[in-house]
Amino acid sequence: MKSDTTHFAEPPGRSWRTIRQEVSAPAMSRKGRQRQFLRWLKFGLISLTVGLGGWGVVMVVDSWNNDRVGLAAAVHSAPVREVTLITNGVLSQKWTKGIVALPPSISLMALDLPALRDKLMAFGQVRGAVLTRNFPDTLVVTLQERSPVARVQASEGVGLTKQLLVARDGVVYEGLNYDKALLASLPWLDGVRLVKSGGGYDPIAGMADVADLLTTAQLQAPHLYRSWLIVSLARLAEADEIMVKARDVSQIVFSRKRDYHKQVAQLDYVIDATQVLPEPNLQSVNLTFEGQVPVRLTGTPEELTAATRSEFPLHPPQRKYKRDL
Amino acid sequence: MISNSSRIIGAVEIGTGKVAVLVGEIARGRSLNIIGVGVAPARGVMKGEVVDYKAACEATHHALEMAEKRAGVRLEEVWLAQSGGHLDAFYNEASVNVKSADNTVSALDIASVCALAKEKELPAGRSRIHDIRRPFRLDGRAVPDPEHLSGRRLEVGYWITHGAESKVSDNIHVVGGYHLEVRELVLGSLASGSLLTSAEERAQGVLVIDLGKGVTDYVLYRDGHVLVTGTLPVAGEHLTNDLSIGLRVTAAQAELLKLRHGRGTVQTRDKADKVWLDGDGAFGDRQLPKMAIETIAAARTMELLEVVRQKLGAAFVPEHCGAGVILTGGTAKLPGIEEAATRVFSLNARRGESPAWVKDELKDPMFSTVLGVFQFGLRTAYEHALPVRRKPGLLSNLTKIFASS
Repeated sequence: MKSDTTHFAEPPGRSWRTIRQEVSAPAMSRKGRQRQFLRWLKFGLISLTVGLGGWGVVMVVDSWNNDRVGLAAAVHSAPVREVTLITNGVLSQKWTKGIVALPPSISLMALDLPALRDKLMAFGQVRGAVLTRNFPDTLVVTLQERSPVARVQASEGVGLTKQLLVARDGVVYEGLNYDKALLASLPWLDGVRLVKSGGGYDPIAGMADVADLLTTAQLQAPHLYRSWLIVSLARLAEADEIMVKARDVSQIVFSRKRDYHKQVAQLDYVIDATQVLPEPNLQSVNLTFEGQVPVRLTGTPEELTAATRSEFPLHPPQRKYKRDL
Repeated sequence: MISNSSRIIGAVEIGTGKVAVLVGEIARGRSLNIIGVGVAPARGVMKGEVVDYKAACEATHHALEMAEKRAGVRLEEVWLAQSGGHLDAFYNEASVNVKSADNTVSALDIASVCALAKEKELPAGRSRIHDIRRPFRLDGRAVPDPEHLSGRRLEVGYWITHGAESKVSDNIHVVGGYHLEVRELVLGSLASGSLLTSAEERAQGVLVIDLGKGVTDYVLYRDGHVLVTGTLPVAGEHLTNDLSIGLRVTAAQAELLKLRHGRGTVQTRDKADKVWLDGDGAFGDRQLPKMAIETIAAARTMELLEVVRQKLGAAFVPEHCGAGVILTGGTAKLPGIEEAATRVFSLNARRGESPAWVKDELKDPMFSTVLGVFQFGLRTAYEHALPVRRKPGLLSNLTKIFASS
């Protein structure tokens, strides 16, 4: 048995691990030599790839430090010859070219895309813009446009007004290239205060509710929607009410807390029901209550009482006819 | 599909009778999946030693190529089974006094005693193969890990196995000729023992004997640790040789007779019971007494097992070998060999059975060594190696400097 010591030497004598494992080529089998060659080939290819990669990095860094213009020019790009517009709206390629206003003979790589995008986004009708370099010489502009929900009259100094459009997100903008008939069909917006901000106006709050109501009416009862002239947001913030002035009804009050489908259907019913009256002049319809619809008619109380006693039907005429058939 | 977290390893056994190669996928360092097998008849190998380099290369490379093709992968490294009559081993132990004032064993004490126990010089031309540690003893009591325990004297012993450097080199170079690196060298006896015994059996004590064609490897476990390993240059080939001489037949005929009628113990009682030599009814075929075949085979088998017992010497105590004797290798397929082993060792003997995770096609005893190479390789870091300890950091180095000043 050994005595105590603090010696930490490796065990003496050779371990099998010290035996040299490499075998000379003549001592290898054909398959072994083939494997060795493949291994060298693999090593060579990896080394070459790594070397080329490293050389590339060195060259890029060198160019970045010494010749940035050259680095930009290294990409094969020609002067911009074409600006292609892809849009989901009505804006034209001519308008796009005018906004981006590219200097003549500018190279595609030299374009400052973020700045061009900012120019496009400054126009309220543009909701999103993506600019893409399509080598060698084409700039592709992809736009997403806003759709108008209502019109609003803005004051332009003394006695001057101009018509602006309001989108679902409340953005107020000057519409361009829209169909005149479409613009004429949009109701006017009332009860809102336009606040100047930069070159435009602050977005109007609550327009999503208005857009929902108008869309519902447009789809469910287009004949009613066509008669709507003004939509007022005056009581939206304090009472959750949207007031509509129609051609034949002075005031229709909608509640944004209730289902618009139901409210539009109730309005349709009331208007149909009052058609049978001798003078069907509806003054106001309040659709904000769940169970009942208060209606105010024009005329003296006596006339109205007499009329309703004799003629006021339980159902609108059209439905009555259908049921009789 | 080979996953990224797995490692492909080959296990190679260059035996006297056959070369076996397995390709394994080791996932997360612990679980093994055999994905390729290659077996070729061995050439140029006698008693586990390479005697004809080119022939051995041809056979080994053929098996390697076959295994790679079946696995669909390219091996880069292998674990190699090592056997042969040149292998030898000895036991060496050392002890140190625990240095700390409060007698708590530190990592330095452990490293010191382990280094001392492995310090024994080997004769010239010998190469270490394994340094197998036995349990630490702290003031005479066996402890698996003495660190932080209290005691005065720490002892440890190593079973150091070594082989002739030239023979080990030859074995490695046969694999190197295929442009492969030998990552681990595993004794054949340890490989078989590792595969065929459970932790409980090793704790009870068990003797595993791998009877190959040219050599017989054995390993004796006690208290869960390797007590003795050994290799004898006597095995199944000698049975064939004895039959060839005793019955005056060719080696090939003797091999066939051994496979067909050989037994570990004599069963035939009728001396007149005869068997055909070739059994094909061709001209020159003749009859031989079956009892003579059994007698020769049984005598040689008993002798072989007796030699193993003699080599084990005092280390073999039947009372400390509760799990009995396990026989494996091609020659262990000889009928009646368990009875022969039972008689020789006075213990219950049985043929080794591969664990359940081994596929049916690999359950043959001839694969137990090459499968065990994987098993041992995966387990060795946990059972035989010194626990990996962190190297002293900057802080402890600074502390040492100030302490010494």
